[in-house]
Amino acid sequence: MSAFLDSNFIQQLLLSTVRMATPILFVALAELYSERAGLVNIGLDGLMTFGAFMGFLVGYHTNNPWLGMLTGAAAGVAMNMIYAFFTVSMCAEQIVYGMAINILAPALATFFNRISFSDTSISIEGVRMSPVAIPGLSKIPFIGEILFDHPPMVYAVYALLIFTAVFFNKTKPGLNYKAVGEFPRAAETLGIRVIRTKYIASVICGALAGVGGAYLTICSTNTFSEGIVAGRGFIALSAVIFGRWSSGGVMLACLLFGFCDALQIRLQIVSPSTPYQLLQMIPYVATLLALLFFGIRRSGPKANGQPYFREER
Amino acid sequence: MKELLRMVNISKQFGDFYANKNVYLTVYEGEVHTLLGENGAGKSTLMNVLIGLYQPTEGEIYLRGKKVRLDSPKTAVKYGIGMVHQHFMLVEAMTVFENIILGVTHDSSFFINRDKLKKEIQELADRYDLEIELDKPVTEISVGEQQRVEILKALYRGADLLILDEPTAVLTDIEVKGLFQIIRKLIAENKSIIFISHKMREVLEISTEITVLRAGQVVKTLKREETTGQDLANLMIGREFSPNVYKKVKAEGETVLEFSHISYHKESKHAGLNDLTFTVHRGEIVGIAGVDGNGQSQLAQAATGVIKPDEGTLVLEEKQVAVFDPLAFIMEDVSHVPEDRNKMGLIGNMSIEENLVLKSTRDPRFSDGKGALLKTKAIHDYAETMRVKHDIRCTSVEQLTKNLSGGNQQKVILTRELENAPKLLVAVHPTRGLDIGATDYVHQSMIEARDRGCGILMISADFDEILKVSDRIIVLFEGKIMGIYPGENPPIEEISFAMAGK
Amino acid sequence: MRKTEKIVALLIPVLSILIAFIIGGIIIACLGKSPIAAYQKLFDGAFGTSTKFAQTLEIACPLIFTGLCAAFAYKCGVFNLGGEGQFIIGAVTSIAACLLLGLKGPGGVFVSLVLGMLAGAVWGAIPGIMKVTRGLNEMITSIMLNYVATLFMGYVYTNLLREGSTPQTPAIDESLKLADLPGTKTHWGFLLAVLLAVFLTYVIYRTSFGFQIRAVGMNPTAARFNGFRVKKLILLSFIISGAIAGLGGSIELQGKQFRLMNGFGQGFGFDGVAIALIAQLNPIGAALVAFLFGVLRKGSSSMQTSMKIPSSVASIIQALIIIFAVGGSALIRQPGFQKMLNRHHDRSTEGKGAQA
Repeated sequence: MSAFLDSNFIQQLLLSTVRMATPILFVALAELYSERAGLVNIGLDGLMTFGAFMGFLVGYHTNNPWLGMLTGAAAGVAMNMIYAFFTVSMCAEQIVYGMAINILAPALATFFNRISFSDTSISIEGVRMSPVAIPGLSKIPFIGEILFDHPPMVYAVYALLIFTAVFFNKTKPGLNYKAVGEFPRAAETLGIRVIRTKYIASVICGALAGVGGAYLTICSTNTFSEGIVAGRGFIALSAVIFGRWSSGGVMLACLLFGFCDALQIRLQIVSPSTPYQLLQMIPYVATLLALLFFGIRRSGPKANGQPYFREER
Repeated sequence: MKELLRMVNISKQFGDFYANKNVYLTVYEGEVHTLLGENGAGKSTLMNVLIGLYQPTEGEIYLRGKKVRLDSPKTAVKYGIGMVHQHFMLVEAMTVFENIILGVTHDSSFFINRDKLKKEIQELADRYDLEIELDKPVTEISVGEQQRVEILKALYRGADLLILDEPTAVLTDIEVKGLFQIIRKLIAENKSIIFISHKMREVLEISTEITVLRAGQVVKTLKREETTGQDLANLMIGREFSPNVYKKVKAEGETVLEFSHISYHKESKHAGLNDLTFTVHRGEIVGIAGVDGNGQSQLAQAATGVIKPDEGTLVLEEKQVAVFDPLAFIMEDVSHVPEDRNKMGLIGNMSIEENLVLKSTRDPRFSDGKGALLKTKAIHDYAETMRVKHDIRCTSVEQLTKNLSGGNQQKVILTRELENAPKLLVAVHPTRGLDIGATDYVHQSMIEARDRGCGILMISADFDEILKVSDRIIVLFEGKIMGIYPGENPPIEEISFAMAGK
Repeated sequence: MRKTEKIVALLIPVLSILIAFIIGGIIIACLGKSPIAAYQKLFDGAFGTSTKFAQTLEIACPLIFTGLCAAFAYKCGVFNLGGEGQFIIGAVTSIAACLLLGLKGPGGVFVSLVLGMLAGAVWGAIPGIMKVTRGLNEMITSIMLNYVATLFMGYVYTNLLREGSTPQTPAIDESLKLADLPGTKTHWGFLLAVLLAVFLTYVIYRTSFGFQIRAVGMNPTAARFNGFRVKKLILLSFIISGAIAGLGGSIELQGKQFRLMNGFGQGFGFDGVAIALIAQLNPIGAALVAFLFGVLRKGSSSMQTSMKIPSSVASIIQALIIIFAVGGSALIRQPGFQKMLNRHHDRSTEGKGAQA
């Protein structure tokens, strides 16, 4: 018990929280951009997995973590274009298509994994993105290390968070974008390009989800395994719901889950007698409980999830 | 007067079907040009062509003498054409200000310069006497105000030609007067209005010129002074229009429905029920009059068990209702023709057969063992009989109801609701969106049901319908009963005032 | 009109399967192997001998259960993605019952299967209750429960019911194992699965209950206005689909695996969802598609051993089938396509869709 009160333990825990929240935050932002344009994408797990593998692969071969990240993004976009084509242009049901992506993407990732690294019994190690301490700020006692000594992708996600908040609340394009998710018909009559916005949303969603996945194989760890995503895509989905579709709320939700993730790992070390599976359940149970206490009935962008049938021209 | 718009030989086809055929329309600056026609006559299609949502199959459009191609809503806006749709295109989650600047491109900055833009918009609003509050969320403003926002939206985008699609459908008489004042101000400033309506009284009051459409084609274009209401009605219908006159009855039968101090406040602050007390007897039609949004939906849903009142008691045939649940009401022979036939009345992806027996799948006529085995042949035969009896136009009784026309969908619902001789029928906006033929059919069915002893509670925003069919008229305003009037020789002016809250 | 629609509806999964196999063949060719030879190995691996065929059926068996689970739920408009968790919980409950309650013989089998079914029902009811009482998104809740179930199972076989040093449970008693169907080497759980598919088809399309389930799935508002107990039906659909998956898990345990270990039940849940979607929620269709998936799973391991083609090609083929099948259904619902169908038939009537 005393281990918990150790300031080093707490510091490590909080540091871990920030890092483990990052991939979830990327993916939650991905979903936020998608849902604000009216597209519910439940294929996040699949997009993450594909981005994770492709990013890992390129990082491994080029030994460049940045190229790996970029590839992760590109892979996510490519995969999500399948989703986008069928849901935006063919008006297929979004939920169903999201499931299709969740099945196709990991299958492709596994396939490429098997042919790239034929011996998967040993853990292949790829490139790793090292933490970059922000000069000055990282020297602040206690919180300095927690907030300012991370792989650059962590800083990137928080910058993105701020940009997202500004974009949706203070800019013209942001307002028009939101209208697409709220009332696409009205947006169309006002000259807003609804279909184009939805495709852009899908590109952003794919890219960010892919990056979130690549983060897991380049920053969190530097290996790829088939179960690496472990449902984080769905946790990110729920983060968007608790966060009430606002950047700030989503950030808090992701930090909460990051905390759970970090906690269960630390607890495994600190309390080896507790069965580790029970500890690993913490993030999932936390999601359930959070939904129970803070989840709300259908809300969010009004036309979310509805296929948009373009009036014929 | 200078010519503003000329539509020449416009046709619009959907497959083999002509929604518009050889339409000629000329609108001048500073005039109110009304497009008159019943539901399904082609008014909306023509306007959708004008605002760039549809491309005409044939024909040209000229603006100020120059030929133009309106290939998208954006282009139409660029040419100064703006439309106020019948169902408002306002984003509920945003404020009035945000709705007005949505999609606007003449200020191409990335960030929203709130102060500057608000000032611009307020000036514009003041110029045309449009009273609005920019920072209010759309969910908190009245219907009349929403309409003003829509008008301002169009003006802000530089519209010289404003299309108003059935603008008075949702307004009280007083609000209509306010709207007409705004219209007069607009034409005084040389703007033009295309006014779409099928309400004769208003058309006669505000129009400069009138074009009558029927079955997609122009019947005639005339100046207001050259015509009368009867003339126009005849032109709209295409034959000597003699409205059906139904005999009114004074029902002395048993009470089939009784509302006693019913109140309901659960939803938005505009709707709700306030201490309602009234009765419906067997063999009479009680018409609830009033502009939509004054509690009509809630009244209907309380009377059919869909919602539970917060206070008061409901009595169905001498029995006080304890359980508010649609099934319980159905078991008590209450039938419901709901306000939204597609959302509430029919399962669109099910066939006509299935929709007809929707409530009766455990009936021994249609299944063995209380629903253990559906008798598909019996169901099919029943549906066939009904199709013939009620002349339901369809490719077969296996056709999915979502593919039927509005009138035929309503026929399916009516068939289902009336075939089992209910004691009470609650019909909400039963002829909304239907053409004259279908409307007549609906009224006829209700009268017949009434004569067979059914008590009917009809809720309608169509005043003419109320006058035509009701044996007693009750006016609903802001959830309160303003008055109860006889259906025979009703005091029309008094009722109009009551509907507006006086 | 309906007939054409039915034919088209059948054509879509068939075409999707064909296209997916063709693309799979292209991928195999890119690996430098002959697609024809590869597919020959695949089908030989699945049907070659009666033993192999029996094994294919046994592999298809759990997929039929999870496919039915997903199909039934979705018929009611409910996205039960928790089939995996419900399957696993059923198995966990059964093994606990078998090992701890001293069950034996046919009576024991019956008890254990029923318990597994009930456990699945409960696990399915959790997201159901959360949805009908609080409107909470059932996809998220059911998937969270999948992870909880899998982790719990891990806890069971590495800790609670562990067999010595190996991370697995002891095997169930001989008398509790499901016997093979006479004259075959397939356990009778498979027959149960097929019968269940037939039974569910009957329930969904020929009973009042099934009618109501379908109505709620298509338009819950109209269903409510017409007197259906929507919340009750939704909850029931969760419970029933959970029970089906739970039963599947117990049968997998007692018919094939006989013990719990790492990887038990893995992937069956999502595969079940894929199966349901490809079969367009038709239970008998789901059984057929599950059989196809079984063929792919079994055949692909022969393909891998004899031709060194990664078995994940089969997963890709599976995934492609679903992409095309779902895309195909979307395509036919497009207004453009509908008009094409209409023109084919529309002669005498006014029942048209496009209105002014």
